[in-house]
Amino acid sequence: MPLASSNFLVPNGTLIVEVVAFLIVLFVIGRYVLPVLNKTLEERQEQIRTALEAADAARIEADETRSQRQGILDEARQQAREIVGQANKVAEGVAAQAEERGQQEYERLVRAAETDIALARQRAVDEVSGQLGALVMSVARQVIGREIDAASHQALIDEAVAALKASSDTTAARSQG
Amino acid sequence: MSSAIAVPMARFLAANINVGVHVERKLFGLTFDLDTLWATLAAIVIVIGLGLYLRSKATAGVPGKLQLVWEMGVSAVRKQVDGAIGPRGAAIVPLAVTLFVFILVANWFEALGIGSDIEWLPAPTGDINLTLALAFIVIIPVHIASIRSRGPVGYVKHYVAQPFPKFLFPLNAFINGVEEIAKPITLALRLFGNLLSGGLMLALIAALAAWNISHIPIGDVATVILNPVWKLFDLAIGAIQAFIFALLTILYFDTAMSDAH
Repeated sequence: MPLASSNFLVPNGTLIVEVVAFLIVLFVIGRYVLPVLNKTLEERQEQIRTALEAADAARIEADETRSQRQGILDEARQQAREIVGQANKVAEGVAAQAEERGQQEYERLVRAAETDIALARQRAVDEVSGQLGALVMSVARQVIGREIDAASHQALIDEAVAALKASSDTTAARSQG
Repeated sequence: MSSAIAVPMARFLAANINVGVHVERKLFGLTFDLDTLWATLAAIVIVIGLGLYLRSKATAGVPGKLQLVWEMGVSAVRKQVDGAIGPRGAAIVPLAVTLFVFILVANWFEALGIGSDIEWLPAPTGDINLTLALAFIVIIPVHIASIRSRGPVGYVKHYVAQPFPKFLFPLNAFINGVEEIAKPITLALRLFGNLLSGGLMLALIAALAAWNISHIPIGDVATVILNPVWKLFDLAIGAIQAFIFALLTILYFDTAMSDAH
């Protein structure tokens, strides 16, 4: 029942109960709740700190790996350049060698051909000059009407053959030169 | 008062708004406000229940919403105490946190009010007995901390040697004495007054319901609109008052434990 007789600004026995009541709340909260809460807070801070440290370590490791990879790549690129350079050099050398060999072969062939030609001509000249004496003598016999003795006129024949040979040599030299 | 409907009750109340009425019982020559005690019990159950629930759910992993709110509150109080007093103030943290939470819960009971003289679950902080009890619980340890910090001689000297020169010590003692007596009283009355006036506002808004212009029940409409508006405002007031009480507790301890005044 509402009793308006007492002054609501003056405390009464309720005060004592309220003091006890709040002390109970304070005890329970301070003894059983806040320590647990503080512990979880600290644990979480610790977890966060550890996680951040781990992240830092991972980042440093990643940086190291990246720089290592970069180094390896640079080295590989350098090596590739060197290999290509060497290959180019080798290829140039091979080409030059091939050209030189080709030139040598060409020259050898040309020389061999020239020698063959010279030999063939010499053979032809020798052959012709061998038959020339008999031919001259038969022509001269018919012209002068008598037997010409090959032995007695050997000197004359040799002179004619030598003159003929000389003239053919000069022609060969001119065609070669 | 069995009806929870505001309007008919307001018609009854409109004739007479009583201030500070409680359900009183006498025991061993003392008077007890049963409605306040009942509401206090409810607040205790809620606060301790929340605390123990939180304790069982507390995790160092991802916190739940309730844990987050508690942690934010506790962190804020710790920061405040650490900034004002330093590590010596660690013992005050549980007191300040409990004060804040308990007063907050108690204050918010007011939002359940309908504006009658006796509510089903009144804000117990609207009774001077609770606020004065809390003020005593704060101010007695403050003085103990002051004696510990300054020594008995320093404690007495603190009251007579300043702010004026020593030969004016009676004046110093008077000024400081008034200040020290005023501390718990203002602490109690500030909270009590805010909550009492909040309840009065609800009663006045309920009383508006009796206001008719000819047969148009304009007062009913005003009550229906103003009641929730005021209650929202009152929730904010309740939170602010709880915060102020806890903050002043910290500041009183700070003053008591700091050597230089």
